[in-house]
Amino acid sequence: MLDYIRLEVRRTLRDTGFVIGGIAMPVMMYLLFTNLGTDESGWKTGAMVGMAAYGAVGSALNTGGGVAEDRAIGWLRQLRVTPMPSHQVVLGRALTGSVTVLPAIVAVLAAGGLVNGVRLAVWQWAAIAVLLWLGSVPFTLLGLGNGYRLTGQTTGVANMVCNLGLAVIGGLWFPVTLFPGWLRTLSAYTPTGRFAQLGGSVAAGHAPTAGAVLVLGLWLLLFGSYAVLSYRRHAGNL
Amino acid sequence: MTQGTEAAVAFRGTVKTFGAVRAVDGIDLDIAPGETVALLGRNGAGKSTTISMLLGLNEPDAGTVRLFGAAPSDAVRAGRVGAMLQEARAVPRVTVRELVAFVAGRYPAPLPVTEALELAGITELAGRRVDRLSGGQTQRVRFAVALAGNPALIVLDEPTAALDVAARHAFWASMRGYARRGHTVLFSTHHLEEADAFADRILVVDRGRIIADGTGEQLRRAAGGSLVAVDLAGRDREGLALLPGVRSVEVRGGRALLRTDDSDATVIALAELGAIRGLEVAPASLDDAFLALTSRVPEAV
Repeated sequence: MLDYIRLEVRRTLRDTGFVIGGIAMPVMMYLLFTNLGTDESGWKTGAMVGMAAYGAVGSALNTGGGVAEDRAIGWLRQLRVTPMPSHQVVLGRALTGSVTVLPAIVAVLAAGGLVNGVRLAVWQWAAIAVLLWLGSVPFTLLGLGNGYRLTGQTTGVANMVCNLGLAVIGGLWFPVTLFPGWLRTLSAYTPTGRFAQLGGSVAAGHAPTAGAVLVLGLWLLLFGSYAVLSYRRHAGNL
Repeated sequence: MTQGTEAAVAFRGTVKTFGAVRAVDGIDLDIAPGETVALLGRNGAGKSTTISMLLGLNEPDAGTVRLFGAAPSDAVRAGRVGAMLQEARAVPRVTVRELVAFVAGRYPAPLPVTEALELAGITELAGRRVDRLSGGQTQRVRFAVALAGNPALIVLDEPTAALDVAARHAFWASMRGYARRGHTVLFSTHHLEEADAFADRILVVDRGRIIADGTGEQLRRAAGGSLVAVDLAGRDREGLALLPGVRSVEVRGGRALLRTDDSDATVIALAELGAIRGLEVAPASLDDAFLALTSRVPEAV
């Protein structure tokens, strides 16, 4: 299965669309949003976590796009006639997703530290990276659910809608403090809002809140069931 | 395990329906290890459904399919099967070597990658990206993927569809190289010449059934025997249709063409009549045989 993950990670990193949309875009947006107009260091840290989260969500959802593509070209079907068991194919794909979210997280954090001069303790950097990494799992599952259920094109659209919608409402692009009250309430229930909050708490020097872990855990269950259902229903005609 | 005597492929009363369509309508079939067998039929005859069940991608509605005495999915899991599926496209963003090496690595006793590439005739493409190759090259990459694991049975679903003549020849040269190693090969095609030239045995599939099974020669004979031609030299054609073995008589430019089930008896009878002038005896073409076989069943639609 390691071979499979290696192969799929390679294929993802060679995808120009992924490298630009999933890694370069969040970095550029971060640098733009923090260096135009405002010069406030708190926003530089907050936006760093938000954009790293945004990049991670995009990369995680992209895993589903890969699955849809592999279904369309018959690669998943070809794998079914090799000795590799199908549960390894699914698991391998999910793990691939958890590897390919790393470049976006690392790139945005690096831009924060090296370009924007964000200063945090070593443990904070490490904890933010690890939490954003682990917290991206629900989004990988959401992407896989879309990828097994929808065609290649609709998966792309669905992923983009999920990505932009959840990013904006979750406050990954603009701080939730700018939102009207009702939207701020809604934002607290989004997976993206809570996802970014994991990193935000650490950047502020304390542990993630129980609420964040709880809400994200519920989304994990929901997206996980969605992925399993999609796979079960559509595995027969891979 | 009695691998040597066990049939590589065994179908027993196998049926698969999609809605109201009986795609496979009761197939009984044994393929011995080492045979190269062609599944010949028109588009929609049931070839691909047969192959899907053989690979464990589809479950039969009735009857059984066994590969080397085991369920297809178990035989696949054990690495005894390699396949080139229809309508599979190139896997994007991998090199030929990466792809073949990855698939080889899934099998318990694969071919060395270099050897697999060589057999498929794509050694010089090893470093190229699969999605940047021509149609013929892609097809050979897919062949390399099918044989990389050194499986005992290799299944090729319409391997040469959409290939030009040169690419087709190169492909079959590779396929022969693999079959010569004693592997069982099953391929489907709707090209008669391909089935005739490259298979030891041809199974003609029509409307979900196997309607003929034998060598190209046997099929030709079964379907319409031979063509006997003589100069009429002014003779009346009337009596010719009554000669032994003769099915039909056609006169073209002063020559009588007799389609016969028994060319020997026909020729002897012609000799007794003293009618032998410019005698020619030729086997009926496989095209004739195929048309004769597949038109026996009345059109269902």
